[in-house]
Amino acid sequence: MTQRQDLPQFEDHSKQEHRYTTCYMCACRCGIKVTVEDEKIRFVQGNPDHPVNKGVLCAKGNSAIMKQLSPAKLTQPMLRKPGTERGAGEFEPISWDAALDMLTARLANIRATDPKKLAYFTGRDQMQALTGLWASQFGTINWAAHGGFCSVNMAAAGLYTMGHSFWEFGDPDWENTKYFMMWGVAEDHASNPIKLGLKRIKERGAKFVAVNPVRTGYQAIADEWISITPGTDGMFALSMVQVLLREGLIDDEFLIRYTNAPQLVINNPGKQGDGLLLRDAEGNPQIWDQHTSGVQSALSPDVAPALLGEYEAPCGTPVRTAFSILMEKYMAPEYAPEAAAQVCGISADDIQRIALEMAHVAFKETITIDTQWTDWAGREQSQFIGRPVSMHAMRGISAHSNGFQTCRAIHLLQVILGTIDCPGGHLAKPPFPKHIVPPIKPAKGNAPNTPLESAPLGFPTQPEDLVIDENGQPRRIDKAYSWDAPIANHGLMHMVISNAVAGDPYPIDTLMLFMANMAWNSSMNTAQTMDMLRAKDHNGDYKIPFIVTCDAFHSETVNFSDLVLPDTTFLERYDTISMLDRPISEIDAACDSIRQPILAIDRDVRSWQEVMVDLAGRLKFPAFTNDEGQPKYQDYKDFIVNFERAPGIGFLAGWRGKNGEKSLRGEPNPNQWQAYKDNQCFFKFDLEPNQKYMRHANKDYMELAKEAGWVGSTDQIVIELYSETLQKFRLAGQGLYDGPQPTQKHHQERLKTYFDPLPFYYAPLEQQRTDAKEYPFYAVNQRPMFMYHSWDSQNSWLRQIMSQNYLYMHRSKGEALGIKDFGWAWIESHNGRIRAQVKLMEGVNPETVWTWNAIGKQQGAWGLSDDANESQQGFLMNHLINELLPGENEAGGQRMTNSDPITGQAAWYDLRVKITPVSDNDDELAGQNLSWPRFDKVKPLPNFTPATKMSSYSSHPNINLSRGWRDIFSRGEK
Amino acid sequence: MHPAFSVLIFTVTSGAGYGLLAWLGAGQLLGYSQSYTSDQQIILGVIAMVLVSIGLLSSTMHLANPKNAWRSFSRFRTSWLSREAVFAILLYPVAALYAAALFWQWSCINWLAGLSMVLALITLFSTSMIYASLKTIRQWNTPMVPALFMAYALSSGGLLFLTVSGFFDAFSPQLLKTVTGLVLITLALKMVYFFWQGKPQGATIQTATGFSQASVRLLDAGHSAPTFLNREFGYQIAADKLLRLRIVMTLVTFIAPLVMFYCVLQGTAAELLLVAWVMMMTGLLLERWLFFAEARHVVRLYHGEQRT
Amino acid sequence: MKLGLVIDLDTCVGCHACGTACKQWNTSGTIGPLSDERPYEKDPSGSWLNRIRTYEVGDSPHSKTVNMPMSCMHCEDAACVTVCPTGASYKREEDGIVLIDQDKCMGCNLCSWACPYGARELDPNSGTMKKCTLCVDRIYDEQLPEAERQPACVLTCPTSSRVFGDFDDPDSQVSKLSRQRAGQQLMPELGYNPVNTYLPPRNPKQQDQIKVSAVQGIKQLVNRIINR
Repeated sequence: MTQRQDLPQFEDHSKQEHRYTTCYMCACRCGIKVTVEDEKIRFVQGNPDHPVNKGVLCAKGNSAIMKQLSPAKLTQPMLRKPGTERGAGEFEPISWDAALDMLTARLANIRATDPKKLAYFTGRDQMQALTGLWASQFGTINWAAHGGFCSVNMAAAGLYTMGHSFWEFGDPDWENTKYFMMWGVAEDHASNPIKLGLKRIKERGAKFVAVNPVRTGYQAIADEWISITPGTDGMFALSMVQVLLREGLIDDEFLIRYTNAPQLVINNPGKQGDGLLLRDAEGNPQIWDQHTSGVQSALSPDVAPALLGEYEAPCGTPVRTAFSILMEKYMAPEYAPEAAAQVCGISADDIQRIALEMAHVAFKETITIDTQWTDWAGREQSQFIGRPVSMHAMRGISAHSNGFQTCRAIHLLQVILGTIDCPGGHLAKPPFPKHIVPPIKPAKGNAPNTPLESAPLGFPTQPEDLVIDENGQPRRIDKAYSWDAPIANHGLMHMVISNAVAGDPYPIDTLMLFMANMAWNSSMNTAQTMDMLRAKDHNGDYKIPFIVTCDAFHSETVNFSDLVLPDTTFLERYDTISMLDRPISEIDAACDSIRQPILAIDRDVRSWQEVMVDLAGRLKFPAFTNDEGQPKYQDYKDFIVNFERAPGIGFLAGWRGKNGEKSLRGEPNPNQWQAYKDNQCFFKFDLEPNQKYMRHANKDYMELAKEAGWVGSTDQIVIELYSETLQKFRLAGQGLYDGPQPTQKHHQERLKTYFDPLPFYYAPLEQQRTDAKEYPFYAVNQRPMFMYHSWDSQNSWLRQIMSQNYLYMHRSKGEALGIKDFGWAWIESHNGRIRAQVKLMEGVNPETVWTWNAIGKQQGAWGLSDDANESQQGFLMNHLINELLPGENEAGGQRMTNSDPITGQAAWYDLRVKITPVSDNDDELAGQNLSWPRFDKVKPLPNFTPATKMSSYSSHPNINLSRGWRDIFSRGEK
Repeated sequence: MHPAFSVLIFTVTSGAGYGLLAWLGAGQLLGYSQSYTSDQQIILGVIAMVLVSIGLLSSTMHLANPKNAWRSFSRFRTSWLSREAVFAILLYPVAALYAAALFWQWSCINWLAGLSMVLALITLFSTSMIYASLKTIRQWNTPMVPALFMAYALSSGGLLFLTVSGFFDAFSPQLLKTVTGLVLITLALKMVYFFWQGKPQGATIQTATGFSQASVRLLDAGHSAPTFLNREFGYQIAADKLLRLRIVMTLVTFIAPLVMFYCVLQGTAAELLLVAWVMMMTGLLLERWLFFAEARHVVRLYHGEQRT
Repeated sequence: MKLGLVIDLDTCVGCHACGTACKQWNTSGTIGPLSDERPYEKDPSGSWLNRIRTYEVGDSPHSKTVNMPMSCMHCEDAACVTVCPTGASYKREEDGIVLIDQDKCMGCNLCSWACPYGARELDPNSGTMKKCTLCVDRIYDEQLPEAERQPACVLTCPTSSRVFGDFDDPDSQVSKLSRQRAGQQLMPELGYNPVNTYLPPRNPKQQDQIKVSAVQGIKQLVNRIINR
């Protein structure tokens, strides 16, 4: 509207200021433009120029005001009151100086004696480059973020297959794709970017297929909804692979040029080296060259590799192509659509049809983009060929104990259709793709007062890379990179408390948690976890002697802390969303961004990154200390500007060089922060048209990536359909590996069974051990879009949308059980039972029940009143899930972790339950609208001010649009 | 619809007041008021206006922002609520002049009596049209609603007229027969209303959502706790309870007073009519409560109900 | 002018962004604040101008989930305006926006009774009725960038499921969308002639598939000479 109207001036723009920053309420990290007046927020909107959200914003972003005004905000550092029990919720304020002195003394002692006694785990933070650096400078291997219970299966499967992955490291080519398949994406991961993409493909008339047991959120707008049985996606994908193989519908050019499908694999069953790649003296993998009818280096550009066939290597070793093994494996009857239908609950016709629809799009609706580009071997190419089938997958794939192989199965499907990093396909986001895999090995050991020799987390490629001692026992507290979970690239945060309390593999001294609600919704087995946090040894000392929590809000975990360090909100801090970490790049641009304070801090809190840098100086970490032994960096901002990981490479990629003239690489720029602020807090480096596709084999792109430090060489990134890494571990399990091998039988079995170099389907571990007759329902969780990635019960607007969750189940099943809509029921698993209110629905797989996760809260936490719905009717499914598998004690008297056997990803979604309606006779809560279990009330914190009964927020008094008397008296009925 | 107590009091009490005033005015015109002294007629008028005032005051309790109540005279052109307010206020000076005319025996008394009666009836009609004009509530959107409102008011007002006459020794059996007839007509009308209301009709969840070809079920209302809309429109009453309440209402409002009318006509003291009136007023409160509780606003369809 | 919204049920994922964007803008807007009762207690409840409901259409296994945001429809024959006794509720002649003059409303609730769409909610603090203003305090504000002179809900919608415009202009995007996609009014039988128009979900996209041979069996994959 531009028409000038006779209206009052509603907004006094002269009093308003626009400040840009980056949202921090989920992992999307949208750009926001905040209008501030009188130091109050008038409006938070999406930044239209921002590469991530392009001006749009989600429900959380639009409720940022209420997050900022939450009464649950922590206001000062606090110490557990001496003489009170942990978990009793008795705290006394302490000054920052005293708190940091105390913490420094404690940490310095740990560092000087046994640094691994500090376990430092972080939750939904986006500063792992800093916290990881901090941990490695401290010298503890016991550091990880929350990826182990979130999405490590996705990240690991992608990085070990194609050098990038779904979500943060890659996206569908929304502008060109014609067929989009979304697997196991609840309503999250990601938020606005996915929504923008879905809108785009619907606009363009592409087909959208959603694979999910529940039809809410994104599935609501899908052209086709596949109501799959939870945990069987791998079978579905591989059955489609069989259809494609059977019909010869594969992109053999893509497979030969860009993947290891033609590489020769040693075929020596039962012997050492079986299943490894045939390599020449230089270690190069080999192919069978059809020009020379002989073995040649697979890396040579001038060969015509055979995709299929069994051959004999010059040394006489029998070999066959990886693709031959693949053919044999997936043509087996178990992957026939008819057989798969029995497993997945999808008809054989549908499995075949969807495979053939994708093939049609890939091969009959091919698109080309005429752009000159140079391939890895320096050959000029005239166009990019696009097979416009794309996919996205997330939690529903990831959170099963077969998630890694399932995700690999989906990637396999993408790869044989030739849809990787091509127009219309799945595109990497810089700094991805990376070589398979990035050459960083996890640090193995630590020594007093010494930084780790490597990062705590890395990418093992062989048993030698495991973090185990000479007896094969885990070195890490979470047992990551042990035989339990050899490729646990994000750690196993869900095991830390349990292992530390059991002293297995060893006790720790201090547990430091940042932004992770481990005493509640981020732990499996919540009630027992609380007991563990309170557990004492025979001397009466806590088994975890000291717990430090840093959070901005009064979470359930704060209640279990000895020292509470209050964080700022995201609107009160400086921050980087770094290229070294999890940047905000798009498919065609490298992007990073910053946060800047929008509001002044009004209480005694400090941002955790400032505290990290401060502590690093106090503890005299080498990287944070100058030659005089004094702290090297004044503060976080100073650190970000001046720290270089490699010459010219720092946390921020934009405006480097003394005068800010360089991008991606350049010496530190003292005015870098200002440059970001002047550019609305983000940096975007657009790729050239010839660098946008086929980047795994694109010389121009790889040269840029090497210069920017994203990759170590310009060598082609060869997609690994066949994973030699997994085969090495399998050989170790078979006792055929020339290196470390497990000694325990259950480890050997796990390696033999699950470390298949080709993706395969197996029933999730918990389900293998659960009686399906006793527990007939699959049970899964999802987060609602308006609370995705942030436990927003403290947000008064969002909790109006939902302050109570229900157990959702299929109408027919509810009716058969005699459960009415909104009736109460008991839900029971092998681990325990909960009482919840049931909502019946149509759009759910009949064998599946589900709920919204993390709506339920402990009474008294999060600034909520004692009668808040979250604690009275809300519930967590976590109580039903154990961090250990049910069944026999195979691990020398101990139960195994309830995780993916390859990556250690927490298997939240493997749960099976039975459901019974509440009965008035035997129910202690009969007739009451109360969920169960119930917990002690969390006490209010010192100086807590309960919220008012009525809230009427506005940043200025309203300017009313007044209706005139003349109009009131003169207007008649229309 | 949420039955707000202030509105129940308002419509029932002011209805009786307007009815009484209408009977008084009509009596002046038709001559049956002559059995009262003018002082007694003034007292009757005062009783009527007190009842009206109690009702109107009560109605303002229902306002969330009563400081703007005076503005309700503004939209006479379209709003039945505004018309009601205007007529209700207009009635005061007219009724006062009527009283003065009674006191000083002015010659224009018939005009003022007639005007009072007409204003009382128009105000009543306006009140009823507030409800009857709402297409969103099919139970209200019927000419039966104004007819019933008038009938209730005239019944309760007429009965009050008779009751007071008993205390003034001016009881007229003929008038009681008229009131009896009126109550019987009202009862019949209410029974027709109940029957009509029970027939399924009107908007459904399909027309509300636009999905006319399939079943439609609410999965999520978008808020987990009740909102203004739920509180205002979501009033629920169990079917068996509803039937019981309807029977009680019919007995108390109609049957019991009719029995007492019969007794009085058979010679029981006319003071019994006071009991009858109190019962009828109590019954009417219950009737009005049911009038709201049974009214089902179409917004409920968006909250998952299949029909109204 | 006949200003209003087109809401695309084909693309709405039910994220509630429009609902909170609306709440956020308008709590400091011309009819603000939008109060919240018991914000951190049992049954929190506030006044909202835009609510998002989710329905399941059809029976399992053929049900379809439909998210339906609803706010004021700015009806051409707005009964809420007709019944208002104070004149607080009115429909602007120049653009058809239905508004409530907050200084004149007495909080009698009658307009909310007259509205079939649940578009009007009483503010628990001010006691006045609140409803969608189509962000009249944004759309004409020439100090906002031109692209931002839109209702907050439209500006924020991640799937562009909300489009704002003039239905009197046959060339406006709202008019075109409404024509092309068979836009519907909700509860047209009440005769209020709502301006806001809902685009029904499109028919699912049908995708061709590669025809397979009648004779089932493995097609022989053969090695082709393909240079790396």
